[in-house]
Amino acid sequence: MLELKRALDAKGHCLLEMPSGTGKTTTLLSLIVAYMKAHPHDLTKLVYCSRTVPEIEKVMEELRKLINFYEKEIGMEQNILGLALSSRKNLCIHPTVSKEREGKVVDGRCYGLTASFVRARRAADDSVPICQFYEGFDAHGKEFPLPPGVYNLDDLKEYGQMKGWCPYFLARYTITHANIVVYSYHYLLDPKIAEVVSKEISKTSVVVFDEAHNIDNVCIDSMSVKITKRLLDKCSNSIQILETTISNMKENDSKRLEKEYKRLVEGLRDASIARETDMALVNPVLPSEILEEAVPGTIRTAEHFVAFVKRVVEYIKTRLRVQHVVQESPAGFLRDIHTKVCVDRKPLRFTAERLASLIRTLEISDLTDFSPLVTVSHFATLVSTYTKGFTIIIEPFEDRAPTVPNPILYFSCLDSSIAIKPVFNRFQTVVITSGTLSPLDMYPKILDFHPVIMTSFTMTLARPCILPMIVSKGNDQVAMSSRYETREDTAVIRNYGNLLVEIAAAVPDGIVCFFTSYLYLETIVSSWYDQGIIDQLQRHKLLFIETQDAAETSLALINYIKACDNGRGAVLLSVARGKVSEGVDFDHHLGRAVLMFGIPYVYTQSRILRARLEYLRDQFQIRENDFLTFDAMRHAAQCLGRCMRGKTDYGIMVLADKRFSRADKRSKLPKWIQEHLKDTNCNLSTEECVQISKRWLRQMAQPFSREDQLGISLLTIEQLQSEEMQKKIQQRAQAV
Amino acid sequence: MADEDEVKEYRWESGYEKTWEAIKEDDDGLLESNVAELVARAKRKRAALKATGAIQLGMMRHLFVVVDASECMFLQDLKPTRFLCILKLLELFVHEFFDLNPISQLGIMITKMKRSEQITVLAGNQKKHLEALQKLKDLSCEGEPSLQNSLERAMSGLKNMPAHSSREVVVLFGSLTTCDPGDIQKTIKSLKENNIRVSIIGLAAEVRICREIAKKTGGSYNVLIDDHHLKELILNQVQPPAVAGSMEASLVKMGFPGGTISTNDGTSGSSADHAPAYCLCHIESETSSLIGNSGYNCPQCGSRYCELPVECKQCGLTLVSAPHLARSYHHLFPIKPFIERAQTPETTHCFACAKIFIEADTNVYQCETCNQIMCLDCDLFIRETLHTCPGCASDPFTAQMKTN
Repeated sequence: MLELKRALDAKGHCLLEMPSGTGKTTTLLSLIVAYMKAHPHDLTKLVYCSRTVPEIEKVMEELRKLINFYEKEIGMEQNILGLALSSRKNLCIHPTVSKEREGKVVDGRCYGLTASFVRARRAADDSVPICQFYEGFDAHGKEFPLPPGVYNLDDLKEYGQMKGWCPYFLARYTITHANIVVYSYHYLLDPKIAEVVSKEISKTSVVVFDEAHNIDNVCIDSMSVKITKRLLDKCSNSIQILETTISNMKENDSKRLEKEYKRLVEGLRDASIARETDMALVNPVLPSEILEEAVPGTIRTAEHFVAFVKRVVEYIKTRLRVQHVVQESPAGFLRDIHTKVCVDRKPLRFTAERLASLIRTLEISDLTDFSPLVTVSHFATLVSTYTKGFTIIIEPFEDRAPTVPNPILYFSCLDSSIAIKPVFNRFQTVVITSGTLSPLDMYPKILDFHPVIMTSFTMTLARPCILPMIVSKGNDQVAMSSRYETREDTAVIRNYGNLLVEIAAAVPDGIVCFFTSYLYLETIVSSWYDQGIIDQLQRHKLLFIETQDAAETSLALINYIKACDNGRGAVLLSVARGKVSEGVDFDHHLGRAVLMFGIPYVYTQSRILRARLEYLRDQFQIRENDFLTFDAMRHAAQCLGRCMRGKTDYGIMVLADKRFSRADKRSKLPKWIQEHLKDTNCNLSTEECVQISKRWLRQMAQPFSREDQLGISLLTIEQLQSEEMQKKIQQRAQAV
Repeated sequence: MADEDEVKEYRWESGYEKTWEAIKEDDDGLLESNVAELVARAKRKRAALKATGAIQLGMMRHLFVVVDASECMFLQDLKPTRFLCILKLLELFVHEFFDLNPISQLGIMITKMKRSEQITVLAGNQKKHLEALQKLKDLSCEGEPSLQNSLERAMSGLKNMPAHSSREVVVLFGSLTTCDPGDIQKTIKSLKENNIRVSIIGLAAEVRICREIAKKTGGSYNVLIDDHHLKELILNQVQPPAVAGSMEASLVKMGFPGGTISTNDGTSGSSADHAPAYCLCHIESETSSLIGNSGYNCPQCGSRYCELPVECKQCGLTLVSAPHLARSYHHLFPIKPFIERAQTPETTHCFACAKIFIEADTNVYQCETCNQIMCLDCDLFIRETLHTCPGCASDPFTAQMKTN
């Protein structure tokens, strides 16, 4: 809290590592809200970015508790408005549209009901369907702001139902004057969406990125484009649709096309005046760089533009017909496209904008068919705007199946700072926090910013509730490692198997295991099957495996939880970087132990990764190996952190690889894990590990009540104010 | 598992037990000392809990002891093996149980190979149980245990017991897994409906389902640290539990078989009472159906039993002797919990054992009535075994008060 206050005072950015379950969210919320109340002029808004919808809901619950507490203590209504925002899919209350499962379809249908031209048509012809909730909001919603309070997604829906207003647009509108906004990363990081949603947030805001250990990947993903052959084929189809629509319109209503032409001459500025609902397609590039200029003449008329897009698509198609891997810079690509099909850089830059304008003019209400074309237009705009920090890689086939031609064009962002830069520039304080951010000094480098505060916190605990151990060898003293050279070694695989069986016999309820990749998981499981290890394992616990199929995995997860609840016990084999390692918590009995088989290095043969490593080396002086280790260790820590969700929880963490005990790996673990990782537990064999776990589990099973924590990890007000405690706190603060 | 077998053979191969660490003070000042402290506090808490008077006690207990006999009971973390250690402690438990709860009944079950087996039926005769326990020593432990099956079986045995008795199950559970045929939640629910209290003692680690069962049925769940702790945990089950409240208070009809002087034949008692007759306890066991003229006759139907207490097989009357009831009597007048207070220089020694207090004894205990000071060990001894405060008993005035 102290650190956070310093950062707020300094109006700078900060980076905080706090173990999960220690009240991270509450601390952040309570201090920032208090700060907002104390300095209403310096700080007007809190933007809290989280990763998933359940996490957003959790934050809202915390906020509600906080506001209730304020009300109880102060005894008056608090003038604070907090709300959560999510996609249309989660907020829609339209009777038929909200039944759709896919986010894109909901967006498309919503657009089809609320776009300004549709509503204009409705004014002329009553049979055109529109959304009555949006109409309700448009008619009345803007005059009456949302009363102060805390609104999560369900509250918004309820309020919308009651008033007959569309909750999604209500939330979007309310963002501008709400005090606290909670939404997903993408609304801020992805320039395509940020432009629409978050434009109006003032500079004097605090932005918090929670669970931000993967923030650089999110940044990169939001700026990267992947084009496949199929996508291009679909593009051709939609171009045809465009052509026919244009010719139809020319016959019927040529005025409109003319009007559009004139508007484009005047410049793109007025595009921003366009109605909020029409913002279905947006420019992927950062705003200021493009809106200043007018659309170049070559693509102003509709037919010319369509022909232009066609040329671009055809050109990319020819490029995909390669036999070998091609890697080139955006500049090289632009030169090539210029010489081959005479496409200049400048019109290319306006492709996305122009396409959006055209679709608007043509009054196409079903947007879902056009998504491939939109992707290509984004690509064209991005490739011509940025020459640095990006690379183009064309692979004629996948590495795993070199005989099957499956050409893919990757337009990959190498520099994670591009997407996040405007965020750092715009807001006075950005807080990046997660349970696992170590090593902290890497993030400022790769995100290219200067934090004023950078701290890793540990937990104060009444009992040692995590037990990290590094198991480096099996009972037969053969070293355990997932190194490439020893991967296929049966002795190593057998040792891994024995470790799991023995742990399964000693640890109750749920055990989660993480492997380095799906491929490795499959090979290991099949050889375990041959060696009879699976049979042994199933005597103790049931076995579940994560696969790449999301539906299958969630089914496995449900049954895993069931098995743990019923006392049968279960083992879940999953993959670091997979769905399970990122989003699923295994609190209490669901994860009594986590096993990490090998170090989860990213697949180093990938060309995109190679390009990124090279770029990092050249631009930020980060050695390749450093980045790889950093990346591997943060994923390992993320996996380990899955089992620990609060002070009353406890869990064993087993790192089964010889290499973990090296100083460069060990020191990159988060501080709160390192603190419990004693030197004596760093080079264990399987049986030593099992012995230690058994004893530890018995200690942990002893009754543990609130009174036991009191004075150590829980303080009453008297204890907090006592002199001794104050001294301790002072010491801590100075030590940091 | 090949490794496992070897471990069973040779002690020294499993010998990674750093026994010295148990007594070592931890350098972090966190680990062991803290846990030891927690245990001591819990001990005291339990003692205090037991002693809070003015609650209804389920003195007439019907208790099933379920012993896990699955594969993991062959592990040697308790010496010589978990199973043998448990059986030994159970013998002690049975003895203590009948000592403290003479009008209660006990049954023993085991669970292995996903099934449960009844070893002894509910009976108030400790000899039978002890014999059965002796026999169990040769049993081989194999397969997985099934909590659900054993609880269901215990439930079917306990369901028909009279409402005024307390129905209990104590599970000694070594395994970390349970292999059940159906939804255990349903079993828990019906256990609760039938007012059956399930207490579980885990031998390895905390298993969530056990904790849940214990919590929902109002029992306790504990995991041992070592064999001393285990003994304590098992013996804790000897004390009659407080009644959950819903149990109906009723008058229980009991029979007191008279004329038990049976050794000197023919000199005492009426001839009808001591005519040679089959003893009903042994009439079913074909080997040793002894005809004798000693024993107790049911005052209602006249059936002959060689031992008390017992429930009459003919007419269902509970037969006890007066001393049995008297032994249960002290439960009704528990001594008040002693007050814990910091040790002061004035208090030099324990009143009961005359031990001189040293620095290490931070807390001493004082009786509310007679104001005498005791040490922790005496406090526990008084509470668990003596059931009377030596201070009060030696003071003629308070002793007088008590009898009045």
